[in-house]
Amino acid sequence: MTARRSAALRRRTWRESGLALVMLGPSAVILVGFVFYPLIKAVFLGRQRCGVRGCRTTGWDQYIDAFRSNEFQDALIVTLKYALITVPIGLALGVALAVLADKYLRGMSIFRTIFSSTVATSVAVASVMWFFLLDPNVGFVSDALHSWFPVLKTPGLLQDENTALWAVSMSSIWANLGFTFIVVTAGLQSVPKDLYESAYVDGAGGFMRFTNVTLPMISPTLLFASVVLLSRAFQSFGDIELLTGGGPKSNTTTVTYLAFGKGLPTAGDDGLRSTVSILLFFVLLILALVQFRGLEKRVHYGN
Amino acid sequence: MRRRRSIALPLVVLAGLVSVAGCRSGESIANAGIDRPPAASAAPTTVPTSSAPGETLPPGETLPPGETLPPGDTLPAETTTTAPPPTTIPTKLDELPTCDVTALDSASGPVDITFWHGLSNELGTALTTLTNEYNQSQSKVHVDLQFQGGYEDNINKYLQSNQDNRPDLVQMPEYMVQQMIDTQSIVPTQACAESAGYDTAPFLPQALGAYATEGVQWSMPFNVSAPVLFFLKPRFEAAGLDPAHPPTTLQELLDAGKQIVASGASPYSISLDSDFDGGGGWYVEQWLAKGGNFYADNDNGRAAPATKVLYDGPAGVQLLTYLKQLVTEGGGVYVGPNASGQDSLLKLADKDAPASMTISTSASLGIVLSVLGNGLIEGITADQVGVGPMPGPAEGPAGGAGAVVGGASLYIVDKGDEKAAAAWDFIEFLENAQNQSTFAAATGYIPVRQDAIELDPIKSVYVNDPRFKVAYDQLLASADVATSNGPVIGPLQQVRKVTADAVADVLTGGDPQTALTRAAQQANDLIYNYSLQNS
Amino acid sequence: MAIDNVSGARKFGRYVLLIVMAFIVLFPIYVIVIGALKPGDQLRNQPLLPNHVTLDTLRAAWRNGHLGRALANSAVVAVLVTVAQVVTSVLAAYAFVFVRFPGRNIVFVLFLATLLVPLEATLAINRRTIEDLGWLNSYQGLAVPFLATAFGIFLIRQVFLQIPKEMREAASMDGLGHFGFMREVAVPLSRPTIGALALFAFLTSWNQYLWPVLVTTDEGYNTVQTGIKALKQGAGSNPSLVIAGTVIVALPIFVVLIIFQRQLVRGLTAGAVKG
Repeated sequence: MTARRSAALRRRTWRESGLALVMLGPSAVILVGFVFYPLIKAVFLGRQRCGVRGCRTTGWDQYIDAFRSNEFQDALIVTLKYALITVPIGLALGVALAVLADKYLRGMSIFRTIFSSTVATSVAVASVMWFFLLDPNVGFVSDALHSWFPVLKTPGLLQDENTALWAVSMSSIWANLGFTFIVVTAGLQSVPKDLYESAYVDGAGGFMRFTNVTLPMISPTLLFASVVLLSRAFQSFGDIELLTGGGPKSNTTTVTYLAFGKGLPTAGDDGLRSTVSILLFFVLLILALVQFRGLEKRVHYGN
Repeated sequence: MRRRRSIALPLVVLAGLVSVAGCRSGESIANAGIDRPPAASAAPTTVPTSSAPGETLPPGETLPPGETLPPGDTLPAETTTTAPPPTTIPTKLDELPTCDVTALDSASGPVDITFWHGLSNELGTALTTLTNEYNQSQSKVHVDLQFQGGYEDNINKYLQSNQDNRPDLVQMPEYMVQQMIDTQSIVPTQACAESAGYDTAPFLPQALGAYATEGVQWSMPFNVSAPVLFFLKPRFEAAGLDPAHPPTTLQELLDAGKQIVASGASPYSISLDSDFDGGGGWYVEQWLAKGGNFYADNDNGRAAPATKVLYDGPAGVQLLTYLKQLVTEGGGVYVGPNASGQDSLLKLADKDAPASMTISTSASLGIVLSVLGNGLIEGITADQVGVGPMPGPAEGPAGGAGAVVGGASLYIVDKGDEKAAAAWDFIEFLENAQNQSTFAAATGYIPVRQDAIELDPIKSVYVNDPRFKVAYDQLLASADVATSNGPVIGPLQQVRKVTADAVADVLTGGDPQTALTRAAQQANDLIYNYSLQNS
Repeated sequence: MAIDNVSGARKFGRYVLLIVMAFIVLFPIYVIVIGALKPGDQLRNQPLLPNHVTLDTLRAAWRNGHLGRALANSAVVAVLVTVAQVVTSVLAAYAFVFVRFPGRNIVFVLFLATLLVPLEATLAINRRTIEDLGWLNSYQGLAVPFLATAFGIFLIRQVFLQIPKEMREAASMDGLGHFGFMREVAVPLSRPTIGALALFAFLTSWNQYLWPVLVTTDEGYNTVQTGIKALKQGAGSNPSLVIAGTVIVALPIFVVLIIFQRQLVRGLTAGAVKG
């Protein structure tokens, strides 16, 4: 490499760096200002307890105390259960619907629109809907089905300690179904047709084709969808607030709800709220690391 | 390959579960970062509440000056000096921001004030109508009314805002008294009332008393409500009960319940909830007051800030034992934490296994009549929904009658004399007899003054439909004793929540003493921690 | 698309399944629409039958929730967020793929890490930032924290990665600069994915639940979700109005969805062709 060329290269690198700065600048300002800065600040706020006039530093122990507290441990278990219910079932239903609708048949576009329709409903809308549907006293579902499922009426799906989390999950699965459906449908359409053809020629049946061709080919999509669903599950707040208020007792108090719910020990204490939020961040971080290390290398990325 | 992937996640999560189960401390998160929670029942009298900060911190706690964070950092550095003896009333008021109502007259132009409130739908419309009338009736003050999405959002926004971004006048629900005092952001309405020579004689003493502690009137009651008994008259008749005389004592309620179930008038007698703004929290305060018992020490936190709850004593245990009996023997049915706010009411409309009575707030009377009385329950019209006072313990000072004031009051925010004077002028308008009559008729709230009910429209409402007057009469019937004013506790909302958990526990078969002891422990921790954070 | 080898019977079976699933998905929506068309006192009377049809409840919800203003505000904020997210994501993704600069990978990982930060952890502090900037009760207060997301950058980067490097080199030979290449080649090739990002950005912004409440104290800046919350949580809460409100708020999104459905699926397909 001659001196002139390396100088030119260095100039180019400088120019490119300047360009990168310009291009990354807007995103960086937002992400630093509204994600990194508050995150770091929250880490420090999390070792304080706050009242209506200000905060008082207690120390880093606050994180350990909060993590080991009854409420956090309970909430963590509720959150994990919630994720374990909503993510696999939501994903499976999404795949099932997408596979079902993945045919050129008459009227299929109508079905596709119907199946994706729940993306139009926000958390607030979906929760209000399910709340109304599941009303134990005068709701349609409880009136129609309580002879088979008495819990629908006494005390009600959202009121019973054993079913409340399932009921909230049902609402959330329904609300996320449109998203999962759209994502998986897109994934299915990207599977090369010749793969199916050769599998067909090899005599693979419908189920074999699904497990041997479809699933591996859409695994990146499934990873993407599962990451999004998992992060939604861990951060769900609105549906819990509107459907159960964290109850009965604390059976639907997830970690996020513990941090922001009404009447809880964290209420009005920005310090303790930060403690819980940062703990949640670390749980998510660990989960994400495991998820990517464990899953990414097994995912089939084409070629 | 695929199979391994599909089980990886559950395995990880399972491992997480196991590791989580291992390190539970058995402590409440309320004590996180706090070295020594009070041995609540052991030595509560030593718990400091409002003395100088340096002295209140337990060993090992420090308060580096640089570490204090907002909110509220713009406030005057008026950290409470050594706790004043509660008897020296004038001293307390003298320490607080003053109010000069003449500032309004000397103002150069019209004074604009912002008013945050939490009244939605019809209630909000009624307030808007009054506000518009006020703005048009005079030119000294202009009120900018801002609905904040309900009480909860209103509270959050108020507490999180700098003093500059706070409104000039704010409506806060009854459980916020101590927190509003502790923000040190308000001008007590008493200061303005004294400056204006305002006559509070016509007011219901209970309504005023609810918002007074340590001899200071902090805010003015505005929309007042209390729980009442709702029942369906035809089912009472079917059970051989007299709809004109619904049960007024706890014993009568139990007997009526037995009679309703035995007669087959309805499968259940009364529906009970554990809502912390209802059956689980607020009603417990009502019942203790009706029975002449304090809920918290220091005269319910009104002589000095409360340091502990008292409901784990005999009165509380007796009450919860009774509630349990109401379910096991009196045909009562527990409907859960009432997440919809109407669960207990809708149990009356259950097609299958309905109840005949429930307790709900008087503020919902209009909605109750329209919901229950329009074909939802076969054969029931709005006229056939009965209203009676909330039954109470017969051994109470007024024979179980009376009520603790619920609803909300108006606080003047400390933003200078002109704003305070303008806010006070608007309060005087909202609280005059005619407007209280109008507002009560439009909303179903109890008027805060006795001369209001002599005026139309509320006068005709009360004459034409006495059901609307039940809550008013009930409030007036309260005994004139210190226990009649409800508890004032900093974290009252959170205390209600732990109390509600105890009620839920008992209504589903738990032991009253065990549940209350646990709840009291948690409540006392909350109170102690609050005092650490806010002293 | 799978090859079409279904026999008549299997086709029939598929239709039956499709119809059953469509029924299950649509049922809650049906119930809620019927509820919105009834007067408040009839809400719980025969919830499946459209008896007593009236527009009064919808009108009352519109009025009490100030939904007209709220819809306009939500639309302004959502459009702002959508446009900005597309621009910031395309720019950043382009830099990560086509521009050489020191520490590129580290910066990318840092950007990506923001995906993991729970929104809730940052809320209180972001609120204070907005308050200090004097942006309470403003469109910028509602929108600014969401003008760039790691999700968007990541999504666009994935498509840009699929553009052969040789194309960039060839363009460079022809004297086409970075911005020229971005405008003429990269963006047109990624249009479907950009469309998908736009739709998701729009939906996410429209459905914002916690943030708008925190940074507004002036009803003039209410958004649709806070409107719903207000109908439900005020002291005068009324279930009938809440249901009507939800219908009003969801309606525009349904329309957007039906219009852009095709693009959405195609966009995600393009993004997922080869990871």
